[in-house]
Amino acid sequence: MAATHKVTIGNQGGATYVVDADRPLLETLEEHGVDLPYGCRYGGCITCAAKLTDGQVDQQEQVALNNRQVANGYVVLCVARPLMDCVLDVGVESHDKLYRNPFLDPLEPHELKPGIIANTATSKES
Amino acid sequence: MGTEADTKDSCCGPGYATPAEAIKAPREKLLYTVALYTGTGIQKPDYLATLDADPESPTYSQVIHRLEMPNIGDELHHTGWNACSSCHDDSSMSRQYLLLPGVRSNNIYVVDTATNPRAPSLHTIIDGDEIKAKADLSGPHTVHCLGSDIIISFLGDAKGEAPGGYLHVNKDFEIVGRWENSMGDIPFGYDFWYQPRHNVMVTSEWAAPNTFMPGFDLEEVGHLKYGRRLHVWDFEKRQPIQTMYLGEDGLLPLEVKFMHDPESTHGFCCAALSSNIIHFWKGDDGTWQWEKTVDVENQLHPEWPIPLPGVMSALLVSMDDKYLYINNWLHGDMRQYDITDPHNPVLTGQVWMGGLLGKAPEVNGVEIAGGPQMFQLSLDGKRMYVTTSLFSTWDNQFYPEIRTKGGVMVMIDCDVESGGMTINSEFMVNFGQEPNGPSRCHETRYPGGDCTSDIWL
Repeated sequence: MAATHKVTIGNQGGATYVVDADRPLLETLEEHGVDLPYGCRYGGCITCAAKLTDGQVDQQEQVALNNRQVANGYVVLCVARPLMDCVLDVGVESHDKLYRNPFLDPLEPHELKPGIIANTATSKES
Repeated sequence: MGTEADTKDSCCGPGYATPAEAIKAPREKLLYTVALYTGTGIQKPDYLATLDADPESPTYSQVIHRLEMPNIGDELHHTGWNACSSCHDDSSMSRQYLLLPGVRSNNIYVVDTATNPRAPSLHTIIDGDEIKAKADLSGPHTVHCLGSDIIISFLGDAKGEAPGGYLHVNKDFEIVGRWENSMGDIPFGYDFWYQPRHNVMVTSEWAAPNTFMPGFDLEEVGHLKYGRRLHVWDFEKRQPIQTMYLGEDGLLPLEVKFMHDPESTHGFCCAALSSNIIHFWKGDDGTWQWEKTVDVENQLHPEWPIPLPGVMSALLVSMDDKYLYINNWLHGDMRQYDITDPHNPVLTGQVWMGGLLGKAPEVNGVEIAGGPQMFQLSLDGKRMYVTTSLFSTWDNQFYPEIRTKGGVMVMIDCDVESGGMTINSEFMVNFGQEPNGPSRCHETRYPGGDCTSDIWL
């Protein structure tokens, strides 16, 4: 039997669902009838972003979030798989820190997307 | 109906024999505009709205039909026809289908607008996963027809990495494969326009889908994640032959248009972040030249540490090639330039609607969330329809209030004799009042073709 974890949707009255550990949360929560936003379904856009308030996920496939968004708890549900029991806020109601005016509030170098930081490190070495 | 169907010669196909004939077409009475719920928090599909543009009609300036897509989350954006004036000599073709790419989903919706122009219907879907599997492309943008074939620019490969390429679709909407023979060393794609008599296509650069879809991180411009070049192609050989490196003058070169006159080699691009108009043309020695003709200065914002660029995200040439129109999405103005001498544009009109500088927070009694962004001009050049949303994630960064206020469509009266622009006080479509909640409107097309749809062979 496949491993499962418990996912609680904090901003939907604490509704709780048991989901497969090895499948993306967007898929498994949809199967439970949770109505979630999404766009690309491969981790390249942030339409499905949710805020993880407790627990841990594996979202190494995502290429959309910068490190500030990650530090603020955002996870991309279309590729994120739960590593333990998790609590999430979902939908645009959870997006208070997802969107940032880039002219008003610039990113520090360490807050860029992980792929850019990795490239910068590589080019410095070479 | 007042479309090309009323006036066209029975021997001929879609569109008009010349730009001059197009200008004489009957006035547009219907508009098609895509409207979004992607990124708004409303769990409804994006849709194609039909708007009544006939001032004699009781439903003038209202949404009269909504064709919902079968899925949520597509992010409809730009649209294009199955046929245009490039098929005018082919009586077997007609301008019946509007193609609606979903930037995020990769699906291309083919909509029948001819059977019932007021209430278009979904004809077929080119499946986004099939496009990824057969052509390794994602992030569709511009649609043009090429005679009886259709090509669509895609900004990424199947994984959302640049540069993407061009999808070739036949007239039955079957995937033929990749259109181009080579992308050369092009790093990014976006918009394209072609001028067949000169065997040339010019393409521009935005960014990879994985870069622009999540929103705009200004720092990524410095990391070369956004474009700054134009590319000239040998159209028949389907390969790039010359790069015009625009540098700091050309950050985020987005829309690219040639003059409508098929003999002309002059064209224009708007560099969105630099907020410059780039003029290009074929030099006497056969190589392509470019120059910056208009530079919109960044404006100081009282509360911001970084001066505010205009963000010139779109441009359009009137059908008589006399006026060039551009927007500044963050500043909030629309401008009209006389380009009789394309090297020396003259500012002849300017209006304000929305924007972040506070020049026109309200238009015709409606609070504007966003700024002028996409626009379409009537074939006679007198009426311009302007919408306010750019892209859902970018809207959410710069104009978060658009979530509750929605987008609007405003009409600008354009003086084609002596120049000038005035916001029309009778016309206003407020997408904040839509039945399913506030939506955001983007690109607009007319059933009979418009100023960004047709190319002459």
